Amino acid sequence: MSKHPHPPMGASSLTRRSLLQAGGALLGAMPLGACRKSHKGTTELSFWNFYAPTDQFPVPSKWFNELVHAWNANNDIKVTLRYVPPADYFAGTVLQTAFSANEGPDIFLISPGDFLRYYNGGALADLTPYLSPEAVADYIDGVLDTRKVDGKIYGLPMEVEPLAMYYSLQAFEKAGLSEADIPKTWEQLLAVARKLTKRDQFGLLFETTPGYYQNFTWYPFMWMGGASAVPGQGGAGFNAPGAIKALEFWRRAVQDGVCPRKCQGDGGSDAVANLASGYCAMQQTGIWSVSQLAQKAPNFPYGVFRLPVPDGGTYTTDMGGWAFVANAKGRNPEAAAKFVAWALGSTTPEGVERCRQWNTVAKTNLPPRKSVSQAAEREGSFAKGALATFVKDIAPGGRGEPRYTPEVYRAVSDAIQACQLSGDDPAKNAAETAAKVESFLKAYKGARML
Amino acid sequence: MSTLAQHTADARRSARRRREAFAAYLLIAPDVLGLLLFIGLPMCLALGIAFFEVDGFGAYQFVGFDNFAKMAGDAMLSRSAGVTLGYVSGFVPLAFAVSLGLALLVREPFPGVRFVRMAFFLPNVISLVVAGVLWQFLLVDKRGAVPALLRPIGLGDVSWLGDPRFALASLVLISAWFLVGYQMLIFLAALNDIPREYYDASKVDGATPWQQFRYVTWPMLRPTSLFVAIHSSVGAVTGLQAFDLVYVLTRGGPANSTSTLIFYIYQQAFTYNHYGYAAAMTTMVVAFLAAVTGLMFALTRGGRFDAGDR
Repeated sequence: MSKHPHPPMGASSLTRRSLLQAGGALLGAMPLGACRKSHKGTTELSFWNFYAPTDQFPVPSKWFNELVHAWNANNDIKVTLRYVPPADYFAGTVLQTAFSANEGPDIFLISPGDFLRYYNGGALADLTPYLSPEAVADYIDGVLDTRKVDGKIYGLPMEVEPLAMYYSLQAFEKAGLSEADIPKTWEQLLAVARKLTKRDQFGLLFETTPGYYQNFTWYPFMWMGGASAVPGQGGAGFNAPGAIKALEFWRRAVQDGVCPRKCQGDGGSDAVANLASGYCAMQQTGIWSVSQLAQKAPNFPYGVFRLPVPDGGTYTTDMGGWAFVANAKGRNPEAAAKFVAWALGSTTPEGVERCRQWNTVAKTNLPPRKSVSQAAEREGSFAKGALATFVKDIAPGGRGEPRYTPEVYRAVSDAIQACQLSGDDPAKNAAETAAKVESFLKAYKGARML
Repeated sequence: MSTLAQHTADARRSARRRREAFAAYLLIAPDVLGLLLFIGLPMCLALGIAFFEVDGFGAYQFVGFDNFAKMAGDAMLSRSAGVTLGYVSGFVPLAFAVSLGLALLVREPFPGVRFVRMAFFLPNVISLVVAGVLWQFLLVDKRGAVPALLRPIGLGDVSWLGDPRFALASLVLISAWFLVGYQMLIFLAALNDIPREYYDASKVDGATPWQQFRYVTWPMLRPTSLFVAIHSSVGAVTGLQAFDLVYVLTRGGPANSTSTLIFYIYQQAFTYNHYGYAAAMTTMVVAFLAAVTGLMFALTRGGRFDAGDR
């Protein structure tokens, strides 16, 4: 029998000696804990993505799980998924700190907007040796351009995501508008937006939060007037009428009170929080919003139309989309590259079906490969509704999301923000931005901007 | 015999003092080690990185003082410094005055005083990110609770977070709402330390409540006021509210109107991969804050304002 089976709580149980002993033990344990580090070896590859393993809308994460399961069933080197919340993935520190510590993922997703940062940092493995000529030829013309440097492929796109205007049928009806009133020019867009603007509803919504996404959504307005962020890359540069008109257009939308200064929910890409909630009647967003609305607002009636053009301008839209890439500084770049090539570049029936599933079942995108598009058409995936409009009317004439360095992106972002939300002079901002870009380009030594 | 006893007693006292000193050092050792490991070491490393161009992918190139020289020509850095100055100028006096006012309000007991104190402190116990999301809902253009409340006075269409004229002021108010409860507790503790006799004596002398505050409370609160002012200022420059709220609510926008120094440094590091430059800016901010804090301590001799204050 113990002398003190239940020591009483209180002063007698806590002596200076016992406290010091506990502190000493804790101090001793700290370095041991700090030294403990997992050592995984090269038989396992990590694959970071931002599709939540949720039970509510499990389709995208289910596709990822099945993809990895299929690979792991036939390969000795296993792939493990890691979910990173979108906010952390897009604009947080998770990826950057991992790469800084040489602990970056072996496989990960990047958008064209981030391509140069990783390529110039030497973090992207060449995928070309693992792709058959048939696979490369299967990609739709231009889709691989922003993922290539000197003819080598450093990323395989999983989707093509064009931008369009979405509108609320109910809001149109309440304002006495019909399909015949769908705007085709910028002036018409503002006029219709004015009719749709109410005490608790904005007529139109563009992205307002500064960042890569806002630039992505603004570029087509610049392109339609013949300008570009970098001179010679699809336009006359930034200090050009096209860029000035586009800045002026977004400025007017806010100054006229038809466009909010702040979006709801996850911002301009969130059609549920903005359009379906009645916060706005028209919203610029991408093809992904078709599945957003189908999943979270299935009874919300809406339509889509292509981005209106300025007087004398030529229609285009921005075609985004994420790509799989392999980490050149990872544990096994060759195996990671093989996985990427197998996952998205396989021309076998299973490979085509896998990509069809991603683009038409797991999400709503346009496939980047011809064989996948044909398979989707055979299944009738794009035969009706908003997706049919995207395929027939919105995507033709579209242009791939550009790849710029963070410095160029920042200069353009500052100009958009200053004009849109501060009401600054577009011409002055365009000139200043062009000067910043020109100054940067003089010292720039990385891969070509497109 | 008595001398021997005296020697023995002295030796015992000396041994006891040594043991107590040893115990004291051991007790503070974890804290000191933690500070050295998690504050001191990163600061030294950051200072070292400031002399390199670091791309975040393993490449380090020594550039000497280039990163420090670059600051002189960085217009956005000047702008962010201006934003931070505006934020500090708005937040520190507001939070100071409101928290002191609240502390005076809840100093004397009255029915429900504990609940009132808790209610004032409550915002401080939730995550700042959650608080930011909450305020985002409340301030939504046209539809939020705040625009709805202000509509009768013609402010229903003001975009509190989307208009550069109001965004920083909104952040100041939200920060103050979040932190005044904490500062109130500090003031409350200091107020309760002021001897009642001082008030009784001043009453006998016919002092009005304002005179009591002016000549008794305020002088006695000076060391605490200094602490609150420094703590609040440092927090406003480098603390969570200067970053978390900006990150959640505005991302530095609209039009860079809320791009505080700490947020700009974050962007330089994690958006543009300019880790060396970010480290150089951090070094300068820390040096500036250390100099200002040191100056304040020197002028007040560590918070001792009056000659007799020891």
